Amino acid sequence: MTIRLDPDVADLLADTDTIKILATVGADGAPHAVVKQSIHLGEDGNIHYLERLESSVTNKNMVRSIWFNRTVAITLAHGDGRSVQIKGRPVKAHITGELFLRHYRAARAGDPEADLAAVWVIEPQTVTNQNARARREAEAALHPHFIHLDRLARA
Amino acid sequence: MVCVSPIRLRNEAPFTEVVAGHPEFPLLIALKIDVQRRGLNYTRRAMDAVDPARHQIYMWEGVAYPHSMLLRDGTTILAYPQPRDRNPYDVDFLDGRFVLIDGGEVVETVDLWPKPLYYDKKTRSGLPMKEVVSARPQRLDIFASSFCHFAHVDDQGCQFCPLPHHHSQLRETYDLPTRLKSEDVKECIAEALKETGRFTNIHITGGSVIKGHEMLDAELDYYIKLLRAIGELFATPRFPSQLLASPFSEGQLIRLREQTGLGSYTSNIEVLDEARFNWICPGKAHHIGYREWKRRLVRAVEVFGRGNVGTGIVGGVETAPPHGFVSESDALRATLDEAEDLARQGVTTVHTVWAPQKGSKFHDLKTPSLDYFIRLASGLQAIRARHGLSVDFDDYRRCGNHPDSDLARLQ
Repeated sequence: MTIRLDPDVADLLADTDTIKILATVGADGAPHAVVKQSIHLGEDGNIHYLERLESSVTNKNMVRSIWFNRTVAITLAHGDGRSVQIKGRPVKAHITGELFLRHYRAARAGDPEADLAAVWVIEPQTVTNQNARARREAEAALHPHFIHLDRLARA
Repeated sequence: MVCVSPIRLRNEAPFTEVVAGHPEFPLLIALKIDVQRRGLNYTRRAMDAVDPARHQIYMWEGVAYPHSMLLRDGTTILAYPQPRDRNPYDVDFLDGRFVLIDGGEVVETVDLWPKPLYYDKKTRSGLPMKEVVSARPQRLDIFASSFCHFAHVDDQGCQFCPLPHHHSQLRETYDLPTRLKSEDVKECIAEALKETGRFTNIHITGGSVIKGHEMLDAELDYYIKLLRAIGELFATPRFPSQLLASPFSEGQLIRLREQTGLGSYTSNIEVLDEARFNWICPGKAHHIGYREWKRRLVRAVEVFGRGNVGTGIVGGVETAPPHGFVSESDALRATLDEAEDLARQGVTTVHTVWAPQKGSKFHDLKTPSLDYFIRLASGLQAIRARHGLSVDFDDYRRCGNHPDSDLARLQ
């Protein structure tokens, strides 16, 4: 189910210090996770990323995902401890048109060697808070058996 | 399986049933094929939503309509309006989006091809630039000559081909020369290149011209002149480009390679079966011959290199009655066997989807089944992958008219 990203996630996406990793899956089921700093919140409320290379493994995996309705995962991690994982589905690849050309010109303005293969649109479906404290608290609440006894012993 | 018959009404398995039999085949590419084979009908609402300032408009047989579409994965659908008895898909405009409709159900959203800026300009000689160099989503198209010796002199044109008829009409309408002048083409491309990010390839084609000191020299000389003029616009000795031309001899191919910046070479054999080739392409058979055509393609690999030479077939036309294959299985086996033979020698084969058009001798026939085209596209791409052949110069983005090379996005 498509969701709307809340402002905290939007802030994390907009922060240039956030590390952004896109994980896709190949034909053989092998995961492929790479840093994609171009990941950002699009004007349509979806996540957009700029694929620079037509023949990259990620681009092929994205094509496979849009063709066979597969999920991709995006991890956002910030030095201040904020971290989320977004799962979503690629729903569109802009290979021409106004949005594509706008990003192409911006990419070229920043790097004269840059090219652009596609602007991918990923529709977010779930967001999981990956902050260590938040994950620990969630596990304690949902799985009270998953703990070493010494952590519960009297001092 | 039984293939085409001249009856017009369809009695076919529904789309969902056919694609369910091919779970490894992308639904969007199957849809592209089905739209191409059945054609389109733009609703009044869709036509009202077409914006001539933003969308490309094309004329075919006196009818103006949007020049093709993009699916959401970037796949191009080049399709033509077809009459109701061919059960075309409808294109409608609902909730601010163009949509494809089949049997009253919305099946996909689509984008119309965007119009480049240069389309509103004219050459210094007064020609509308859009008629000299047309545009696909990422490609510049030059239909250099409407004259085809096989069709116009010998009356032995390829029986499926409406292009000489169609381009003669266009040239009359816009007062274009039969053969475009290289300075006009160069001027249009120079203008198009100002649109950064808009194009990745230049495609040149035209009818066959057999005259010359050596057969086809006149055609070759023209293309060399044209390519050299275009080459002046680039800082590199070679530029991404595809010439789709007659099958030149080895000496001619060497001249083409050495005297121009051409990136790839294609010569369409159209039908991968000698007997059907002789019937469907009588001019090509008479002047060149099936086996010589294949030999010339293989020689082209020595000149242009593996991955830079291709041939095109009109997928499905090999089943045309009365002399085509009677069974789709036989047609598929014959076609793929020949494609494999070419691939072994470095030539890649791509197919278009045969959709009989007005202006061609086969205009009244029917295409084969969707199942046939799915098997053909899968088979050709599997051959390419098996032989490690790329089709970068003729893929979903550089061309967009070959379902099999759409599949190469995963190769």
